[in-house]
Amino acid sequence: MLQIIRTEWLKVRSYRAFWVMVLLAVAIVPGGNYIAAEITSQIQQKTKELIAIAPYDFPLIWQSMANVNSYMTALFAIPMLILVTNEFTYRTHRQNIIDGWERRQFVYAKLFWWLALGLLAFITSVVFAVILGLAYGDHGFSFEGFRYMWYYFLQVQVSLAIALLIAVLVRRAGLAIVLYLAYTMMVEQVLVLLIKRKIGEVGGLLPLQSGDELLPFPVIGKLIGTGDRFDDSVYLLMLFVYIALFIFLVFRRMLKTDY
Amino acid sequence: MPILSLKHISKRYGAIQALSGVSFEVPKGAVFGILGPNGSGKTTLLGIVTDVLKADEGSYSLFDAPPAASLRRQIGTLLETPNFYHYLSAYQNLQIAASIKQRPETDISRVLGIAGLANRQHSRFKTYSLGMKQRLAIASALLGDPEVLILDEPTNGLDPAGIAEVRELILQLAQSGKTIILASHLLDEVEKVCSHVAILQQGKLLLSGPVNEVLAREDFVELSAADNRALETVLSRHPAFGHILGRSTHLQVVFKQPVDPAALNAWCVEQGIWLNHINTRKQSLEKAFLQITNN
Repeated sequence: MLQIIRTEWLKVRSYRAFWVMVLLAVAIVPGGNYIAAEITSQIQQKTKELIAIAPYDFPLIWQSMANVNSYMTALFAIPMLILVTNEFTYRTHRQNIIDGWERRQFVYAKLFWWLALGLLAFITSVVFAVILGLAYGDHGFSFEGFRYMWYYFLQVQVSLAIALLIAVLVRRAGLAIVLYLAYTMMVEQVLVLLIKRKIGEVGGLLPLQSGDELLPFPVIGKLIGTGDRFDDSVYLLMLFVYIALFIFLVFRRMLKTDY
Repeated sequence: MPILSLKHISKRYGAIQALSGVSFEVPKGAVFGILGPNGSGKTTLLGIVTDVLKADEGSYSLFDAPPAASLRRQIGTLLETPNFYHYLSAYQNLQIAASIKQRPETDISRVLGIAGLANRQHSRFKTYSLGMKQRLAIASALLGDPEVLILDEPTNGLDPAGIAEVRELILQLAQSGKTIILASHLLDEVEKVCSHVAILQQGKLLLSGPVNEVLAREDFVELSAADNRALETVLSRHPAFGHILGRSTHLQVVFKQPVDPAALNAWCVEQGIWLNHINTRKQSLEKAFLQITNN
């Protein structure tokens, strides 16, 4: 595995466009949350009697950050889509096998990025949650409610797995990015609304929605939340199921198809 | 021990049967040419051997063992087009190849030198000309000095000097005992460098074996006289007469045994025919190949 990671490192080490994309994805976390923190702190100052704790104060900050960041997951998926589709564009996926990788090793190499980008999103969120919590909050540091960060991490992994699957199926960068953004920003939302209206809460079990159900915005989320949702454990289970399913499909595709 | 052994390999792309039941063996130390027109299945066959394509039927072995990535790492391969990361330099691309092949990076300078790219090794791949890309692909195949090379149309995109260099390189590698599998649609390329050949046409193996046997070419004698019809009648009575290969300005006659032109001239005079042209020639490679593929 170390040899695979080293090879992947050699591929991106001098790839400026990739590093710019990663930097943007990381920068948007403090950027987006700074704006959200400013707005919510103003609201909180005006409604002190109604909301006792600011969303960007401990312990609510973990949940607030996880919620806000869940809208920006796509930024971590773009470098993933580019890295994978590049291999098909340059036909280097073929060359990697010719040179002596097993096909499954090629998939491992991409799964390395799947995990690395997910961890990067998670670590960035945790670091800036601590910084913003200490900057905006009145309460001391606390790990209470940290589970929301894990939920966020799992949602990112689901989102990146969708990106990986689309990339290996579509193979072309432009089309893969459009399909990924269309699915994550619109198609799934529409499906969720339709299924919830016509069938019921099962609409909340779609891949990204399962994560969203676990990540309501503090206070406001509870106010608008519906009563008959599934237990958190069901949504959590669905996240694992989707990750396993998408990775299985990626393996199936890459092990059987002609390169 | 055969380096590569193919058993009844078949592959279909939709309605097109790219390969049907191809079997042959590549002996150790051979320069094995896979010859065939464009679209005959050469690259498909090598794609299957390198695991980038999946055969519908049949099996193959590498180094007399079931195929595995560890065995592919012992083979330097150039398949179809040079595939490299456009945003990286030649050196950086070969670092990746070396990493996958698990060969030392110290060999990169040597192979770039052989390919004549030492001066441009830090230029990005996307700035390379077609010929330079091909040279880099050859350099990559040579990385780690593998005992076996698979070269698919290695002279593609090269200028005449480059073609001569690559042929010379292949001969040098062959002399050092390496096994080389060379796919080409260029007949003279195969004849000049190969010891063995397999001929593919429309996915079928027509012939395979030592190049002298497979591409055996008939010697023929070009003859003409004032009356070529009379000459033909007379020649048909010659004890070594085989058959007429062609009739144009000259008669092209194949004899069953080699004939001495002076003796043949004297024999014709004895028969009352005075020759005004006699020349011993070898059938062209193209003609020999067309004979095989037309039959």
